[in-house]
Amino acid sequence: MALDLEEQEQLATLKAWWKDHGGNVVLVIVVMALAFSGWQGWRWYQIRQASEASALYETLRKAVEAGDLKGVRDSGGALAENFPNRLQAAMGALAQARFYFDRGDLKSAKAQLQWVIERSPSAEFRDLARLRLAMVLLDEKAYDAALAQLEPPPAAPFVAQYAALKGDILVEKNDAKQAAAAYRAALEKAPKDDQAFARSVRMRLEALGG
Amino acid sequence: MFELVQKNKRLIQVLIILIIIPFAFFGLEAYTRAKRGTDVATVEGEGITAREFGDALRAQQDRLRAAFGGQFDPSAYDTPEMREALVEALIAERLVAIEAVKSRLLVSDDALRRVIAAMPAFQRGGKFSKADYEALLRAQSLSEAQFEARLRYDLTVGQLRQAVSATAIAPKTVAARIDALEDEKREVSEALVPAGLYLDKVSVTPEQAKAHYEAHKAEYRAPERIRVEYVVLSAEALGKATSVSDAELKKAYAEAGSKYRVGEQRRASHILIKLAPDADEATRKAAHEKAEKILAEVKAAPEQFAELAKKYSQDTGSAAQGGDLGLFGRGMMVKSFEDAAFALKAGETSGIVETEFGLHIIRVTEIQPERARPLAEVRKELTKMVQEEKGKRRFAELAESFANQVYEQADALKPVAERLKLELKTSDWITKTPRPEYGVLNNPRLLAALFSPDALKERRNTDAIEVGSDTLVAARVLEHEAARERGFDEVRADIEQTLRREAAVKRATEAGEAILARLKKGEASDLKWGAAQMVSRREPGALEPAVLRTAMALDSAKLPSYFGEIRPGEGYAVYRLSKVIAAPQPSDDKLRQDLERLRQRIAASEYASYVASLRERADVSIHRDNLLPAQQ
Repeated sequence: MALDLEEQEQLATLKAWWKDHGGNVVLVIVVMALAFSGWQGWRWYQIRQASEASALYETLRKAVEAGDLKGVRDSGGALAENFPNRLQAAMGALAQARFYFDRGDLKSAKAQLQWVIERSPSAEFRDLARLRLAMVLLDEKAYDAALAQLEPPPAAPFVAQYAALKGDILVEKNDAKQAAAAYRAALEKAPKDDQAFARSVRMRLEALGG
Repeated sequence: MFELVQKNKRLIQVLIILIIIPFAFFGLEAYTRAKRGTDVATVEGEGITAREFGDALRAQQDRLRAAFGGQFDPSAYDTPEMREALVEALIAERLVAIEAVKSRLLVSDDALRRVIAAMPAFQRGGKFSKADYEALLRAQSLSEAQFEARLRYDLTVGQLRQAVSATAIAPKTVAARIDALEDEKREVSEALVPAGLYLDKVSVTPEQAKAHYEAHKAEYRAPERIRVEYVVLSAEALGKATSVSDAELKKAYAEAGSKYRVGEQRRASHILIKLAPDADEATRKAAHEKAEKILAEVKAAPEQFAELAKKYSQDTGSAAQGGDLGLFGRGMMVKSFEDAAFALKAGETSGIVETEFGLHIIRVTEIQPERARPLAEVRKELTKMVQEEKGKRRFAELAESFANQVYEQADALKPVAERLKLELKTSDWITKTPRPEYGVLNNPRLLAALFSPDALKERRNTDAIEVGSDTLVAARVLEHEAARERGFDEVRADIEQTLRREAAVKRATEAGEAILARLKKGEASDLKWGAAQMVSRREPGALEPAVLRTAMALDSAKLPSYFGEIRPGEGYAVYRLSKVIAAPQPSDDKLRQDLERLRQRIAASEYASYVASLRERADVSIHRDNLLPAQQ
């Protein structure tokens, strides 16, 4: 089918346009394709990393359950080394901290909690780790170090538990007055639906004669 | 514009393709997100759908129904507060799920498979059954993919929850302190200055009574009440009303088969020489010699067995009866005794039989061979059983028709009572609050239905409501009395009594406080102290929580120490703390248990704080309009 004049003219315009801009169009398409495949690749990499980290965490959990010290040390170490920025590593460190604490190895427990405080991407995990680190320090009778951990204020929902632990530490330091004040602060901030917590703190407070 | 399109067709085509590409990869979620008209809450842009909420509500009600049985009233557990609490729980779960997804916590296919394979619902004969799995999912109209996605979601949430709460620790220092506080014992005695002492000495003026009435009118209101007529359809009553023919009895007796068979029974007497299983050689020998001697005597004069038993047997219980143990079947005696007794013929005597109790000489006095209890003997219980069965069957036949008739002819119960030959009963006055004396009407669901506008104003029948297993009740309001104020004269006597008691308690309190002051100064009192009791925080005995707390916190530097407490309605109680015993050093085992208890409590608090903290940072809104039950 022959092209009529108008269409021939259009074709010519298009050809001219292509000559001027064709390179750019190809470039744009190539860049988009590259960006897309790069994005896909990055996603794939992320998912691979995540599943490796999740698998390692699962291994660690099983080792903790089985009480397998070597298994805990190996998988825990691998998690922290290969995936330090993933939540799985922080979860693993918390699990290890309890594992060591239960075995009376307070030094290793402290190291794990310290790691969470320094490296965890989750602010909640950092608050939890500080609270738990202060508990370990209390058992070590390192009262001032324990109080220092609790000094920077945590997120609001953790305030009551921080205050209660502060009271426990001050009792051991024989500072009944400050301890009572800390317990009172804990009761004031305690969530309404956590009756067990409030009851327990109130008992410790009343025993101080206040 | 149109010309431009005409002129650059190709270019436009290319552009259109470029615009389309992203949709192919990014899907339509941006559009679906906008549709959240019925969602109950939105968490970080994700909706919690009405369906999810409904499922959770149903699951909760099923749990409650399982716990409360027939008395369960769904409406009592479906209050706005409970819906609010439930949506909060779903939000908490969603927050944790979002955090898990954001952190890319993954549950491997392998782990998923393991969990499914281990679920008891999908097991047959201890192994995973693919057929059961598919059938059960079909029954719930879920596809495998849907179910697995749901499970994966649960596991992911569980993984993060576990990472927070299963890693909690508890300081031993605190556990030990709590232990010492909970187990410290204190000796407390109580003496009451009773209000009764002062009842005669106080008076109430009519003006006081009137003023009290004016101030507390609301409390003296007579509650809304109704009288109702009702019909009960119950399997039990239906059964009792049926007669059972001889033919039916015979059939049931034949079907009962072995149920009425009684195994062989034997009656035996014995002479026991006690011998502990762990006795030493010498004792053992002595006992055997003694038993041999008695056996020889028995053999010489078997008919004298009863006398010999009285004389020698160390089983004091049976010795007085000449050694008689009564009738017994298999499985009622220790094995070696049974074997010996069932090996003998009637009137025979055994040799020496050893059991854990000692050495026996056994004589079988009677044998009742295995037999079937004749119909005459079991007639009564069999009749009852047949009646029960017939009642249940009759109930099943009638239940639906009963419910329909009650519903269809909703302005009267008489027709249904007549048609089904049920008794139409009338009640006394009843109120909205359940009470045991309402009998079959004492059911929260039924009461709620009776006090609904339909029943009160329209005088309609309630639905047939299941108030117990196989028991339906339908009721209709006959008379209704709205809540009303009671006049002063009607309640005057009550008020005067209340005020007198209040005044008497006040006098008792004054007297008690004076005594307390004297006691604290070390002076004597003429109080009659009750028995002293040892209490601790763990074991509060009969003390009320507030009194216990005061008693445990009281300064114990100087004993005895005293404190007092008003007892509303009763008088004033004075307490004496006379002894304090510090908690004993706990055993390692106990300390371990208490440490674990504390750890679990801390774990629960920490997890709650974790969720609360996620919530603080997240964008959460509850759509309260969608939270209320759908209006019918």
